[in-house]
Amino acid sequence: MPFEALDFYDVDSLLTDEERMVRDMVRDFVDNEVLPKIEHACRDGVFPDEWRVTLGEMGVLGAPLKGYGCPGLSYAAYGVICRELERGDSGLRSFASVQGSLAMYPIWDFGSEEQKNHYLPKMASGEWIGCFGLTEPDYGSNPGDMITRAEDMGDHYLLNGAKMWITNGSIAKVAVVWAKLDGVIRGFIVEDEDEGFSAPEMKGKHSLKASVTSELVFQDCKIPKDRILPGVKGLRGPFSCLNNARYGISWGAIGAAQACFDSAKEYSLSRIQFDHPIASYQLVQNKLSWMLREITKAQLLAYHLSQKKDAGDWIPEHISLAKMNNVDIALEIARVARDIHGANGILDEYPVMRHMANLESVKTYEGTHDIHNLILGRYITGIQSFTRDLS
Amino acid sequence: MTIAVLLKQVPDTTAKIAVSGGRVDQSSVAKWSTSPYDEYALEYALQLKEAGGGDLVAITCGPARSSKMLTDAAAVGVDSMLHVVADTSEMDSTQIQSILAAAIKHCGAEIILCGKQAADTNSGSTGPGVASLLGASCVGMVSEVGIEGDGFIAQRGISSGDERVVVSKPCLFTFDKGLTELRRPNVKGIMMAKKKVIESVSAGDLGVDLGESGVKINSHAPPPEKPPGQKFEGAESVPTVVAKLREEANVI
Ligand SMILES: Cc1cc2nc3c(=O)[nH]c(=O)nc-3n(C[C@H](O)[C@H](O)[C@H](O)COP(=O)(O)OP(=O)(O)OC[C@H]3O[C@@H](n4cnc5c(N)ncnc54)[C@H](O)[C@@H]3O)c2cc1C
Repeated sequence: MPFEALDFYDVDSLLTDEERMVRDMVRDFVDNEVLPKIEHACRDGVFPDEWRVTLGEMGVLGAPLKGYGCPGLSYAAYGVICRELERGDSGLRSFASVQGSLAMYPIWDFGSEEQKNHYLPKMASGEWIGCFGLTEPDYGSNPGDMITRAEDMGDHYLLNGAKMWITNGSIAKVAVVWAKLDGVIRGFIVEDEDEGFSAPEMKGKHSLKASVTSELVFQDCKIPKDRILPGVKGLRGPFSCLNNARYGISWGAIGAAQACFDSAKEYSLSRIQFDHPIASYQLVQNKLSWMLREITKAQLLAYHLSQKKDAGDWIPEHISLAKMNNVDIALEIARVARDIHGANGILDEYPVMRHMANLESVKTYEGTHDIHNLILGRYITGIQSFTRDLS
Repeated sequence: MTIAVLLKQVPDTTAKIAVSGGRVDQSSVAKWSTSPYDEYALEYALQLKEAGGGDLVAITCGPARSSKMLTDAAAVGVDSMLHVVADTSEMDSTQIQSILAAAIKHCGAEIILCGKQAADTNSGSTGPGVASLLGASCVGMVSEVGIEGDGFIAQRGISSGDERVVVSKPCLFTFDKGLTELRRPNVKGIMMAKKKVIESVSAGDLGVDLGESGVKINSHAPPPEKPPGQKFEGAESVPTVVAKLREEANVI
């Protein structure tokens, strides 16, 4: 059965023709090249290199960025790209999110003219892979206290410290690394061949298996002076990147949810128990209609946010709500879809368990579900509750 | 040189087809796509243009919805698009052929590529019919075409192997599944396509007098439902199964 993307309110009719053409292009890529290979990629724990090539050829990397060989699409188009990719697999969408929003974006927004000209065209074409090093072994939700340090040695910087959980780390040519210089967080561009830099891959994941996750280790890593991002100081740097990536995730999660819904619907119509399709039982229909309800709400939320992003009329809290809600419902939909598939739900013949396991990571990265609750709590009350220090 | 590719929008091969009132219910078709063989024609038309220069025009005759297919073609590199807007559902092959021939003349194309048959009607008459109206050489069931001197060389599979046919223009090729991979659009192409305007005309604008249709479609009917599968168990059923495979399924 071909995939039917649930769109109960026809929200996609609000997209422009161009945005729909981009959607169809990415959807065809996922149907023809991703889905036939995804289970294999997960089993082998690899991100197939040909996907990098095709993403570059399609011209979707760094979607909303303009100039320097970047696509210059709308935020709505960027959202649609994330949704279609994540309908395939969250690992594939993660690759694109990290490349575009976490590695290209900081260079595009905070880089020097030379840095932009040097890095962006090759990253937009997929030739160079980027990664984003913020999280450390001891600092996840609280990156402000990071340990990684840069020291000004006159004609170069010296980087020391370690990052963990870095998507694309071992396959990246370009790492945007956040480190403290004289106590202030700054962005540095580290290249794979820099002395004192290594990126060992982290193995043993039960989630995002088709995505590469790595440590970044800096031992007296020498960085030329022109590799600091001149345009930003403090947590605003990494947080602006996260805003864009989180926005994309709020769309991406819908793709995973649509895939789970589609599979659950088809399965429940064909699975006969007690002489009738299980889809004919009220308990199962209740689950399906709950999925339809949540997916429809998530679509409206994501679409409206895209319009605010394109109009420049948004605050980070808007994005927190969308990331938190849409990933939350996608994960719950994946779990319920797994349940509807019974024992078959644990097999890789169906996509549901893979999406479910993937979404556990998506719930945690880019600000955990509860960190977004705290961001909204602070917005509502004016009181931050991240730490005991109620200043 | 001007190259024309003829495209037809058909229900996607994965779409469910419903019949109501003796006609395929077009409003129930969830997805319309370019007919698959036409996609190979388009790919080779792009390759011919890349190899020999010239303009590539995509032509369709069909209802308003078919214009999306022309925009898709523009996204992969077609230079201009001509849409003869018409309700083709009750037209016969010769009427459509005369419209397409007039459209090709209107564009000044002398090299024409199309699919060997459309995925919905499967009649296979459009290519040869148009070629005969234009007085063009026609090579059918082609899997590859290239430039050869002043003319063109087409490869086609025949029972004893491959046949290569050289023709000069005006010529028309109908495509089987090609030997190459189809290109996919990219964001740049999609942005360019947005700027290209589709020329939209009626059959009358092209000076075609359709006259009365010589063919009347009585009714469409869905194919009969497949009979349910049969299950046999145990060694004693072997002769029955063999007999059924021989006499009913005709596979041994
Ligand atoms: C597959 C994968 C890929 C990743 N890719 C990247 C990457 O490319 N780059 C990068 O920099 N990072 C990446 N990360 C790291 C990710 O951003 C962090 O895991 C995330 O920020 C959470 O940090 P943590 O895992 O240390 O959890 P912790 O911060 O230790 O949180 C553990 C739990 O405590 C809760 N918690 C924490 N603080 C509070 C509080 N104040 N109040 C209430 N609850 C709290 C959290 O909500 C969570 O439930 C990735 C992670 C994964 C799993």
